[in-house]
Amino acid sequence: MKIFSHHNIILCCLLAFSTATAAQTDITNSWQIGAGSTRVLDTYLSQEKFSGSGLTILNSSERQRDNRKWTMLTEHELNIATVGDRTDKREEMEGSYTLFIGALRQWRYGPLRLQAGAMAAADVGFIYNTSNSNNPAQGRLSLQFMPTGTAAYTLRLWHRPLQLRYEVQLPLAGVMFSPNYGQSYYEIFSLGNYDHNIVPTTFVSAPNLRQQLSAEYPVSRHLTLRLGYLGHYQQAQVNNLKSHVYHHRLMIGVVRRFSIVPRP
Amino acid sequence: MKRDLHILCCSVTTVTSAVRWLCCIVAAVFFLVSCVDEDEFPNTPQGNFEALWKIIDEHYCFLDYKKHEYGLDWQDIYDKYKVRVNGNMDNRQLFEVLANMLSELRDGHVNMNAAHDYARNWSWYEDYPANFSDSLQRIYLGRDYKIAGGIDYRVLDDNIGYLRYESFQQGAGDGNLNEVLNEFITCNGLIIDIRSNGGGNLTNAEQLASRFAQEKTLVGYIQHKTGKGHSDFSSMEPRYLEPSNQLRWHKPVCVLTNRHVYSAANEFTLYMRALPNVKLVGDHTGGGSGMPFSSSLPNGWSIRFSAVPMYDTQRQPTEFGIEPDYRVDLTDEDFRRGKDTIIEFARQLLTK
Repeated sequence: MKIFSHHNIILCCLLAFSTATAAQTDITNSWQIGAGSTRVLDTYLSQEKFSGSGLTILNSSERQRDNRKWTMLTEHELNIATVGDRTDKREEMEGSYTLFIGALRQWRYGPLRLQAGAMAAADVGFIYNTSNSNNPAQGRLSLQFMPTGTAAYTLRLWHRPLQLRYEVQLPLAGVMFSPNYGQSYYEIFSLGNYDHNIVPTTFVSAPNLRQQLSAEYPVSRHLTLRLGYLGHYQQAQVNNLKSHVYHHRLMIGVVRRFSIVPRP
Repeated sequence: MKRDLHILCCSVTTVTSAVRWLCCIVAAVFFLVSCVDEDEFPNTPQGNFEALWKIIDEHYCFLDYKKHEYGLDWQDIYDKYKVRVNGNMDNRQLFEVLANMLSELRDGHVNMNAAHDYARNWSWYEDYPANFSDSLQRIYLGRDYKIAGGIDYRVLDDNIGYLRYESFQQGAGDGNLNEVLNEFITCNGLIIDIRSNGGGNLTNAEQLASRFAQEKTLVGYIQHKTGKGHSDFSSMEPRYLEPSNQLRWHKPVCVLTNRHVYSAANEFTLYMRALPNVKLVGDHTGGGSGMPFSSSLPNGWSIRFSAVPMYDTQRQPTEFGIEPDYRVDLTDEDFRRGKDTIIEFARQLLTK
């Protein structure tokens, strides 16, 4: 007598699959816009530091399956800034788009929720110096692996939950594009001369940090406001070139929470 | 009540412990994340002097070459000019001292730009005869010459094509070049007059030269700095001129040069010199074989300097110019007769 027939095995698999897919998925989606200061140094373009103001648009999406300890976090960050030197005679423009994708494990201690995990960040950007001739711009292209941690604490304020949340990312290693010290883009792109232009990075050669501190408060049944600070500090010291781009942004936005419940 | 208090205490203890743990992580993160920064010089006469000297010291590409050629010692230059800078100087006085320091580099690609003046060293053509005359050019081109992009052109009486490219700042696309070469298709030879062409876009020079190459041709080498040291360079990479896949010129060519041929025009001369059916006629070119980069000083003045050195096929810099195959000067006698000695020499060469 066979205990498991083929039909039984298929039935078990389907049952297991349906149990997995029947789980509810909770999604927290937020859109934020922010303004604040930007500081730029790129010794390929100038020895001078530039500072000014910029805008950031941030979309964040966190997905958590019911009864799971892992959440998927996806963030899209778009930055644009105009900066000037200390005399305001020279100007640079800085822009970037970064995609963060990662998975975080969570621990709950009453009103406190801690998460830790890792994210991958793909960044593409530029710094354009409006005065320079053959070195007018610096392209930025990088892929980073970054441990990530969050802490969220929920308390009650006027009978509604107020959530305070902190998120931090520290890239450990990755790769980035950089021209060599005195290499022109003409050599790289017109002549195709490669010279250490794809550089492996670590937290020593590219010590970056990104952190967010936010407060969320539901102002109505369907609308939750998020107010916070986003700090993104990108640095690199490769090919004897130094660069840093510091963003400080005051962010404001809305949060939408919903669940996807599969049909029974 | 006691139970609630106990739960609250436990909760507070847990939260405190978690926050402490989080603070430790953040502190560790801040400890690990050190700043990548650059020291800034103050915006004072001394600070601007130091900043300028350092930019050239770390980025200028011909310090070793010029030390060898005429004994330039950049450390000596520092000592020489530092004593001329003091805190009481006004902007114009400071500009004069810094401009004089830069002129020690004898480089047309080294400039400093302020609102009131533009520091330059144009001795590479100002110290020599012009060997070019607008008035004579007007005689040769006449009034019915054609214009295609940055090119003026016509067929001369002896069936020699005459192509005048005044500046490589202006482009001439494939369509323009096809039309120009079509116009000259029955000519016996071609004169390309780039006298007083001070340069421009290197790709414009390459695009024109590619119409005269019949095969992939080595035209020189290029390298770049890899660090702050005067001798920190990458290996020399070959540069090739690829033949155009459009209409190409196979007959003899004369390229007319003078001391004002500089930068991208100097490179064009270098490309053409490597081709078998091309002769250079006129004066020595001005040079300028370092592709310039830009930077700025604490007071906002912009700086331009040679950063990427280019070499000929013998791996020698052409920073101080290229010697023509036929050295010809414009004579006063010909000028009075309305004749351009250099054009006439090229015509004879092409009709031989």
